[in-house]
Amino acid sequence: MEGHERNLYLYERFNARVLGVTRDDVITLKYWAKNLDLTFPILSNITSFLGVSVDAQVEGRAIFSRRTIIIDKTGIIRYVRDGSPNFRDILLFLKKLNQEGRLDPTTGGKP
Amino acid sequence: MKRISLLLMCLFLVMAWLSGCATFETEKKAVPYRLTAQGTVVWEDEFEFLPPPPDWKLLRVEEEGGDINFGFTRSDPGGFPSMTSFAYDEEPFGCSTKFEDREKEFFKRFLFNAILDFRILEKRKAQALGGESLEVVVEGKDPVKKEKVRAKVVFGKRAERIVGFYITQWRPIDGTYDLSAFEVFDKFVKSFKFLKKSFYETL
Repeated sequence: MEGHERNLYLYERFNARVLGVTRDDVITLKYWAKNLDLTFPILSNITSFLGVSVDAQVEGRAIFSRRTIIIDKTGIIRYVRDGSPNFRDILLFLKKLNQEGRLDPTTGGKP
Repeated sequence: MKRISLLLMCLFLVMAWLSGCATFETEKKAVPYRLTAQGTVVWEDEFEFLPPPPDWKLLRVEEEGGDINFGFTRSDPGGFPSMTSFAYDEEPFGCSTKFEDREKEFFKRFLFNAILDFRILEKRKAQALGGESLEVVVEGKDPVKKEKVRAKVVFGKRAERIVGFYITQWRPIDGTYDLSAFEVFDKFVKSFKFLKKSFYETL
């Protein structure tokens, strides 16, 4: 998560926003975000519907698997990677999407 | 006014991530460096630095996301845990691009697993990487395991991002530090140069 925090200025450059989603409770997340000096939103999704919707819910366990998903402005999932985030890969992908105009709200998703 | 898109990047995480950290590799990989006639090392055509004496072994930390993280280590005379390691870290703990803030963030997690009582021995502004840097010398003690560590961290800038160098020297609690290792580290830091723009500068 620190990696995302470090890259916020680059996400801004590529018209992107980052959200964290976890099944942990709000109190835990507040403490965690404060401890890591995180400034972007982290959503507490105890009921897990967000994780279920993107197949990140680990069966039989109250956790989500570690997954990075990039959704474009039209709501289409454009990128899914499991495991630790590959920040360089993410940044290159966002740069490409931005260049394609998929992230620019003024173009309606068209280049 | 700059328009912001509706892109959302969702990250689903497990709480195990909270304690996640880099791990040392166990397999030997090809080392992408070459020696120059001047006695320096050119690493991946990106960095140039003065290597330590031959008794120091190369240490590479597993790369996550392509960030570079390498250093050197050596075993020291004396009982466990006598050893010294130093490294260059492209992404030191923390997020801030201001030295003072980054230092506070960094030391929240530096050697976190060792659970030590840290005290700052010295903190001063210096020069490294062609610009201003911040040097911090700390000592940590573990009265339960009867171990101690002396560490020096140098925060420098690579374009808008902060990079770091650090050395740790572990000793039994009644052991004596070998400050000559810190001189080797200082030479390494002082000689360190970037030969090209970082990945982040090319975006």
